[in-house]
Amino acid sequence: MRTATRRRLLAATGGGLAALAGCSRRRGPSGSLDGSEGGDGGGDSGGGENGSDGARPPTADERLPLSMSPSALREAARSGGPPKDGIPSIDHPSFVDPSDAGFLNGGDPVFGVVRDGVSKTYPQKILVQHEIVNDVLAGDPVAVTYCPLTGTVQGFERGGTTFGVSGRLINNNLVMYDRETETWWPQILATSIPGPWNEDPEIASLREFRLVWTTWERWRGHRPDTRVLSTDTGHAKNYGRDPYGSYNPQGGYYGNDSLLFPALSNDDTFGRKRVVMGARTPAGAAAFLKDALREREVISGRIGDTPVVAAYDDRLDTAYAYLNPEEATVESTDGTAVRVDGERHTPADLPLEEVHTFDAMWFAWAGYYPDTNVYE
Amino acid sequence: MSEPRPLGRFRTALGRTRTASALVFRRWDGRAVFGTVTAVYLVAYLWAVGHLAGGLGGFGVTVVADPLGTFFRPELGPFTFTPVARVDVGPVTYLLSFNTVLGLALAALVGLNLALSYLAWRQPKACGIGERSTGLLASIPALLSGTACCGPVVLLVVGVQASGVLLTAFQFLLPAAAVLLVGSLVLVGRQVNPAAVRRSPEAGQPSRQ
Repeated sequence: MRTATRRRLLAATGGGLAALAGCSRRRGPSGSLDGSEGGDGGGDSGGGENGSDGARPPTADERLPLSMSPSALREAARSGGPPKDGIPSIDHPSFVDPSDAGFLNGGDPVFGVVRDGVSKTYPQKILVQHEIVNDVLAGDPVAVTYCPLTGTVQGFERGGTTFGVSGRLINNNLVMYDRETETWWPQILATSIPGPWNEDPEIASLREFRLVWTTWERWRGHRPDTRVLSTDTGHAKNYGRDPYGSYNPQGGYYGNDSLLFPALSNDDTFGRKRVVMGARTPAGAAAFLKDALREREVISGRIGDTPVVAAYDDRLDTAYAYLNPEEATVESTDGTAVRVDGERHTPADLPLEEVHTFDAMWFAWAGYYPDTNVYE
Repeated sequence: MSEPRPLGRFRTALGRTRTASALVFRRWDGRAVFGTVTAVYLVAYLWAVGHLAGGLGGFGVTVVADPLGTFFRPELGPFTFTPVARVDVGPVTYLLSFNTVLGLALAALVGLNLALSYLAWRQPKACGIGERSTGLLASIPALLSGTACCGPVVLLVVGVQASGVLLTAFQFLLPAAAVLLVGSLVLVGRQVNPAAVRRSPEAGQPSRQ
């Protein structure tokens, strides 16, 4: 392990493994990307209860860290141009079979998920126009969210409400709002802050689930049974046009160093848009450079005082992060398997407690988590 | 004769502008310039706001559930409206929205300005026009007003980060373009000598007089 920078995050709440339960809880086989086969999961995004308080979005047991006070974060919000819901969420998604997804090329980025055996694919070229899909996944009401300016895709349980795009940005990052309480939820932080429509919300963090940022070719090979978000979204949008640039091939905003709006941090340790796999718990934050993960396959680090390990998965070009408090010996083999204390496992399924992780541009992660540990 | 009051001068300018505009449509070459410029500008405007662009391919028309109720709904920024239909024609996708109506109005103003400029250059004496129009320059702000998700992406090309001041300024680009175009039209129109126009031939002559 080599630590490029190692700075302690000022945890907003107390640390300790017990405190992690709410935000790093593992879904087990049902939430694994290698989960068993299952049904379609339906496309109706109607509300529903999920252990939530009425229609409010369900929240985690413990709050994720904030490097600024909620009110300071509110002050940092700026208009991105569009008004509230000017970027319309998809509230009635429909899905097609892979054979009917001719609008996707093999190298196009997609966001894949498997939940209770149900696999779904959300193409980046559709989400860039909507940023939020209010969906139902294996019976659970969820919101799949994507911010093109920070390169972050995150899934949240939404309970009986839906999420919309507020039109505000913090750190160039999407600020969502829930339509029941009108609370602001900055996407990367996944934590409520005050806004003009709800000035005194309960400060809490959403329950998250993992989506994998990969390519259509890789995901289709991994999950041939997946269902693909259809371009029939109910909106008249041109899904062949990404207003910011292109990922296939990379160009425009995604391929240069320019930001649309000022960032919360000007940390220049790495290129602004270099991709990191970020993980944070109530105890702190860690970032693993994705290209370093491709090269080294296993990288160890710490979140707060707790050892963590990230394992690269060559099949999907992604990585998974795990708490490793017992400091088990974790070694890579060939990019498709990892040895833990000598026993082979797939990178997605180590016998350790998984920590939620997701891709993010470096400037976005460093802006929200200035005291993050970084590993390369 | 006493100097006309400002209102009177304005009325005179408007009257002469109407005469000059009518002149454009009385001549075949005026109509040709107007039609061509209007069409080209409309295409450029729709391209700038992202409502005419390369798409996913194929052929088809998709209409949203409530097109009439959606037609005037704001979308990504000031003076951008929600598309109510998507038309896929091979490699090109067109989005129908109120922006097409706005773009057409702006394009007609640009077309009129340039058609008058053309006549001023081509046959200034017969048309009674003393100055060229500046309509092309006035049309640029409207093209810059094109916005996409999360702000004026055009700033990325310039390499400037968007600020509150710039976002506010963007709100005024389209109305500013409209005002400038009408203003330049009136400026040219007030130069028209109605007596000279009356003497001019009904049909356009290709030769410079």
